[in-house]
Amino acid sequence: MTTVVAALCVALPVLVVVSFVITGVSDAWNHLLETLLGRYALNSLLLSALVAIGVVILGVPAAWIISFYRFKGRGILSWLLLLPMAYPAYILAYTYTGVLDYSGPVLTAMRELNAPTWAMDPLLNIRSLPGAAIMLSLVLYPYVYLLARAAFMDQSANLMEAAYTLGQSRSRVFMRIVIPMARPAIAAGTLLAVMETLADFGTVQFFGVQTFTTGIVRTYYGFGDTVGAAQLSTLLLGCVFFLVIFEKSSRSRVRYYSDRLRKLNQTSVTLSGWRQSVAQLLCVLPVCFGFLLPTGILLYWAFFYAELQSMWSLIVSSFFLAGFASLLIVCVALLICYANRLYPSTWLNYATTFVGLGYALPGVVVAIGVLIPFGAFDRGLSELLRPFGVEPSLWLSGTLIALMFAYLVRFLTVATGNLTSGLSRVRPSIDQSGRLLGLSQMGVVQKLHVPLIRGSVLTALLVCFVDILKELPATLILRPFDFNTLAVKAYELAGDERLIDAAVPSLCIVLVGLLPVIWLNRSVTRE
Amino acid sequence: METAALMIRKLRLCYQDTRIVDDFSLSLKPQELGCLLGPSGCGKSTLLRAIAGFQELLDGEIWLDNQLLSTPHQRVLPEHRGVGMVFQDIALFPHLTLAENIAFGLTGWPESQRTQRVNELLELIGLSGLNQRYPHELSGGQQQRVALARAMAPKPKLLLLDEPFSGLDTELRGRLASEVRTILKSDGICSLLVTHDQREAFDFADRIAVMHQGHICQFDTPFNLYHEPSSPFVAHFVGPGEMIEARVEGARSVSSPLGLLTNDKDLGFAPGSEVQLFLRPDDLIHDDDSDYTATLVGKHFRGAHHLYEVRLDHGVVLGCFAPSHHDHAIGEKIGVSLDIEHLVVFPK
Repeated sequence: MTTVVAALCVALPVLVVVSFVITGVSDAWNHLLETLLGRYALNSLLLSALVAIGVVILGVPAAWIISFYRFKGRGILSWLLLLPMAYPAYILAYTYTGVLDYSGPVLTAMRELNAPTWAMDPLLNIRSLPGAAIMLSLVLYPYVYLLARAAFMDQSANLMEAAYTLGQSRSRVFMRIVIPMARPAIAAGTLLAVMETLADFGTVQFFGVQTFTTGIVRTYYGFGDTVGAAQLSTLLLGCVFFLVIFEKSSRSRVRYYSDRLRKLNQTSVTLSGWRQSVAQLLCVLPVCFGFLLPTGILLYWAFFYAELQSMWSLIVSSFFLAGFASLLIVCVALLICYANRLYPSTWLNYATTFVGLGYALPGVVVAIGVLIPFGAFDRGLSELLRPFGVEPSLWLSGTLIALMFAYLVRFLTVATGNLTSGLSRVRPSIDQSGRLLGLSQMGVVQKLHVPLIRGSVLTALLVCFVDILKELPATLILRPFDFNTLAVKAYELAGDERLIDAAVPSLCIVLVGLLPVIWLNRSVTRE
Repeated sequence: METAALMIRKLRLCYQDTRIVDDFSLSLKPQELGCLLGPSGCGKSTLLRAIAGFQELLDGEIWLDNQLLSTPHQRVLPEHRGVGMVFQDIALFPHLTLAENIAFGLTGWPESQRTQRVNELLELIGLSGLNQRYPHELSGGQQQRVALARAMAPKPKLLLLDEPFSGLDTELRGRLASEVRTILKSDGICSLLVTHDQREAFDFADRIAVMHQGHICQFDTPFNLYHEPSSPFVAHFVGPGEMIEARVEGARSVSSPLGLLTNDKDLGFAPGSEVQLFLRPDDLIHDDDSDYTATLVGKHFRGAHHLYEVRLDHGVVLGCFAPSHHDHAIGEKIGVSLDIEHLVVFPK
């Protein structure tokens, strides 16, 4: 029952948005179709393609080097490579824009050294589509790195040795065995990155790249065209939907290839000399540009320029919002997981899978999908209460309720995913042992489940908390008037070209964002 | 009427809308070690879950020590049944120490008695002094013994064992099955083991119920199952052997390619009827002095003995045990003779 309700919650924004396709064509839609739609589609496509290439270039070689070779610094680099995940792409965009400004330190130095213009121009033009692709690739490559690394390390040494005994050279084994077997994992990681790219709003908006997400916001606010925004959202949803299907199918093959035999990394080769330096360089570069450099810059700005006083209330309200919302989400997720465990049925299973789609929904689409029905509800209620002398007001939309609801829709999967994997480790025979040793159903939950899944509940809370803290478009659109979060503040300051002032809220988000990355790395290496 | 500890009457069970146990009756005597032996998918695990109280009944009754546990309309809750269970995947609580695991079911016991029981059981399973270890620090065999101790701790009226040895290697499996038998016998707990491994069943049980497609084929001692199987399925399932054509000659004898064979019990077939005679490798003995010869077509060296495959003159291939040092070459003619106590005969 709870799962069905939850599925309906997630479905609501989607259904609302999609329903507008049927309601017919608005005037603005024709205008959109003629002028802007082509540009939105082309830019989104181009950006996705560039990011796909970027994440593979950054992620796969690093994963390959870490998996197959031993060299100085391998241990620390293997987890440093994950750190860029802590960055939302828009914060990276603000930081690099600030550094590469015409009057910024880099270009000033280059001018003093009389650097040629062909070297300076691309840096000046960071606010462009290729620039956005670089920013997104730098923060999204860890998806590819993680999945590719896992796939490489999971391959059985026996398979490779079998290939050697069949007379294959090292490079042929790599091309014919290692890469084909890791391909599904690499594809899955790339598709995740592309999904995030399509959902990105902050980066493309700041760089002035017109994509679906900026188009939706512009249509909604600029033209006040609900129908047009909803229809654009549907188009974007269509793309995401296909990506989800591709991602799921490539993932199902990932499992097929995993093998519990002797692991490959036990046979890795030790590097020395220039080979070692190349390996180190290939791993250091993504970390450097994706994390170390921007973090250094943010820290510098935060310490020397920014004023901190005004930030405290912002931090408190952001943490309060994210904390409360993640508690809510985890509670709902617990209900769903227990419903599935105690009363399993195929019906529930479908509902759960549907809930799982929430994370794939771009924040912009969720926001529009929540705003439309909630706004309609407010107008209806105001109409209804007017005879009783009640002032019209925003009962739902423009309140924290709408925002919480949007977070729930978008991040419920994060929580259910964590909890399901936690609960699945508590096998049914554990429950049954407890019952046979005298515990009631509630007793089993109290004495066995609570201690056993506490870890995954905390993880779910942490991951939801950080995701909410980073979330920009939904918060921007749905937040109550005058209510600010760190992400929104960073967005506003950057929009006002006060990039250095944006350093403090950005830094807060990144530092908190590091926690789940560190945790993730620990759990991956423990496996 | 004989007193029974566990009594199951006319049970019918479903698993995911498929009826998998039908008209199933079984009773175990107090302190008896029973076993359900059958191929996977024959319904034995579902049956165990029904006895433990996790499975609804479509029809029938389950009694334990003269208390009605389950009917289609009411079930005593698993925690109130006095039934213990050892699981295939061991299912020790990973966050508790060995002592805490074993003491888990001892709620309401005074502290001193609880400690005493835990130590007593740890000694019984040969893990004394490991009270403070965690399950993951033990080997598979040790974990399974702890799981056994945990299930035995509250002194259940009946202990169920659901393929508890199947995750372990073959060597350990047989040893642990006998060990567990000794432990349970010393505690006098009535138990029911579920397995698909015939040797495990022989090592463990007083009586074995061979199950096939949801019903019992035969419920008997290991010895009788092996030597006097009641159906071809049981005959093949509990050990190797071959069917050969035969004809009933008298009340107690048949004529076969191996000559006229007689035993001292009635076969229950009319003279002249065509039947199948079931012969195990230990019924046919290699004997260099025998007048009757057969061609050696296959051999398996088993260390302590050879298992030969020999082709008789009529083309029938049978198994035959031979002493370890009688090493013949394939293709050689060797002497064989029959050593039959009971004729196992089935209708053709």
